[in-house]
Amino acid sequence: MSNVIEVKNLTKEYKTLKAIDDLSFEVKEGEILGLLGPNGSGKSTTINCILSLLKFSKGSIQIFGKEMTPNAYDIKKELGVIFQEVAVFEELTVYENIDYFCGLYIKDKKVRKQYIEEAIELVGLEEFKKFYPKQLSGGLLRRLNIACGIAHKPKLIFLDEPTVAVDPQSRNNILDGIKKLRDNGATIVYTTHYMEEVEILCDRIIILDKGKILAQGTSDELKELAKIEEKVTVEINQLEDSMLEKMKKIEHIEEVNYTENTLVVTYNKGENNLGNLIEFLKRENLGYSKIYSERPTLNDVFLELTGKELRD
Amino acid sequence: MFYHNFKYAFKTLFRDKMLIFWTFAFPIILGTFFNMAFSNIENSEKLDIISIAIVEKEENEIMKQAFETLSDEENEDRLFQTQYESEERAKELLENDEITGYLVLLKEEPKVVIKSNGINETILKYVTEEIMQNTEMISDIVEKRVQESMQGYPEGIYNMPNVENIYEDVMKMLEDNQVEFKNISNSNLSYTMIEFYTLIAMTCLYGGILGMTAINHNLANMGNVGKRTSITPTSKGKIIFSSLMASYLAQLIGLAILFVYTIFVLKVDYGTNLPLIVLLSLTGSLAGLSLGIAVATLIKANENAKIGILIAVTMLGCFLSGMMGITMKYMIDKNVPIVNLVNPASMITDGFYALYYYDTLDRYFLNIVSLLIFSGVMIILSINGLRKQKYEAL
Repeated sequence: MSNVIEVKNLTKEYKTLKAIDDLSFEVKEGEILGLLGPNGSGKSTTINCILSLLKFSKGSIQIFGKEMTPNAYDIKKELGVIFQEVAVFEELTVYENIDYFCGLYIKDKKVRKQYIEEAIELVGLEEFKKFYPKQLSGGLLRRLNIACGIAHKPKLIFLDEPTVAVDPQSRNNILDGIKKLRDNGATIVYTTHYMEEVEILCDRIIILDKGKILAQGTSDELKELAKIEEKVTVEINQLEDSMLEKMKKIEHIEEVNYTENTLVVTYNKGENNLGNLIEFLKRENLGYSKIYSERPTLNDVFLELTGKELRD
Repeated sequence: MFYHNFKYAFKTLFRDKMLIFWTFAFPIILGTFFNMAFSNIENSEKLDIISIAIVEKEENEIMKQAFETLSDEENEDRLFQTQYESEERAKELLENDEITGYLVLLKEEPKVVIKSNGINETILKYVTEEIMQNTEMISDIVEKRVQESMQGYPEGIYNMPNVENIYEDVMKMLEDNQVEFKNISNSNLSYTMIEFYTLIAMTCLYGGILGMTAINHNLANMGNVGKRTSITPTSKGKIIFSSLMASYLAQLIGLAILFVYTIFVLKVDYGTNLPLIVLLSLTGSLAGLSLGIAVATLIKANENAKIGILIAVTMLGCFLSGMMGITMKYMIDKNVPIVNLVNPASMITDGFYALYYYDTLDRYFLNIVSLLIFSGVMIILSINGLRKQKYEAL
């Protein structure tokens, strides 16, 4: 697969603050690349630099093998962007908004009409064509925002946190739509601070913090970076410190944490850890209401790399 | 692509209720108030010829001639009924309310004596001040002529000015001055008309807000829609031109409504000059829009700050062009003429005045051409400013 985007040594400074610090990465044709990081980690700034909206202090950006500039119209005609904030005209209806933005790429009216209908169907706005944006709910507005960015069938799509403040139904609709776009051959750069979304959607993930790449790879590759292999959570009332100390002696346990009636036990490796813990609780005559086991999440990886939670 | 952007730029402007109010409704409301306020003044003015007395304490030929012209009994629209009296007698007439006021002619500035404040008293004071201004202007020209006639001679050796010629020049100026007064009275240029011209000029320049709004939709630092438009493969020239044309069409509709309303509802008589007034309005609107687009593209500030800057620039331009008092226009012409050469408000007002004060249309068309050049420069600067535009922050 060839590289659709090549970013080399990208640096963006705001006076004394380095918003992006020597960033280098590629996006391959047909993949969904996730840029994962907390708010202020430099995700949107990176996209704005790639789109040639922002000046940057150092580095180079190539899209489809050509240098990206504000006047690179041959590149721009293949791009679709869904910004974090809804970018539509309040004075135009749903259909008119999509038609306006699509019309800046597609001249042929007949083709455009077909593309608009397909975009409306993709985001599920068939019943709202004549509505004005102020008549739509937050979730529907986000769907309109997406339709305006992808109606012209771009080859490369940037989605900057498209599901922020969206209801679960609209969120599922949006995520399904993104998968369909990828299945239709588009390359996608997806930024978010929701780790569940990148796990569901992305082929490759870059974890960003303070404008720097902390780690990159597939979801599984990143999880291997975590020291822990299994995490067991138990809802249990009144656990004494002496019992916690006893528990720590069980084989493969990395850490034991007990707060607000929830016990979290992390294991560095091993098999049947859940069974062994249930055995221990029975032996010590400790009653519990719920117990479950998890594999480490990207949040655990982020926590381990930075010492803070993704949503901090 | 041009038509597509034009169509939607026009739709968004036309559906923006605030813009519609300021562009279409506000001038009509203002015009209605002008009509209510000034038509009564004009009616009462027509009924009353103001009785005044002149006391010739010292010789002031210019002032005397000007008041004689304005009191010419053969002119139906004359402003004054003038009688020459001694100061004692004038005081007595004023006390008995037989005259509105009296003028004591002095060599320098004449003294206006009135008993109370009212419309007639204000007119007497205003006219006297206007004549003073004109007199000053003539004095300046005479002084300049004298200096010119003395040039080219070594220091200490002066060419005696040709007193006879200069006198003739001055007298010709006086004649012109009188003709000017006659022309004004013959052309129905009333206070109400001046206010309506001001209103038209203001409407033309306020069209800049339309242009600014249309362009802001295409600037990445002006909001999310601007960001989205900025990454489309549409050339900046096409975007600017189509947005300009869309806002121009909206502006012209606003002006057309204003003209229709003032002519058919308020019964304003623009006389035989209506086509020229409309042409000047069309050109003035283009200049206003171009100014709005230039402010939008060249100044990096938020939308409210840009609107504030545009309104401030427009208001300052209007003030300097004499829209709030013609004296200012003369002062600027005399001291810093360059300001009026680059001020679109001045070009519009000068165009309106030129229609009434001059027999030929040379000066009128000079203003039309100046407005077109101003618009062209603003558009070129805007396109240049938009090209290769990247921002430090968004």
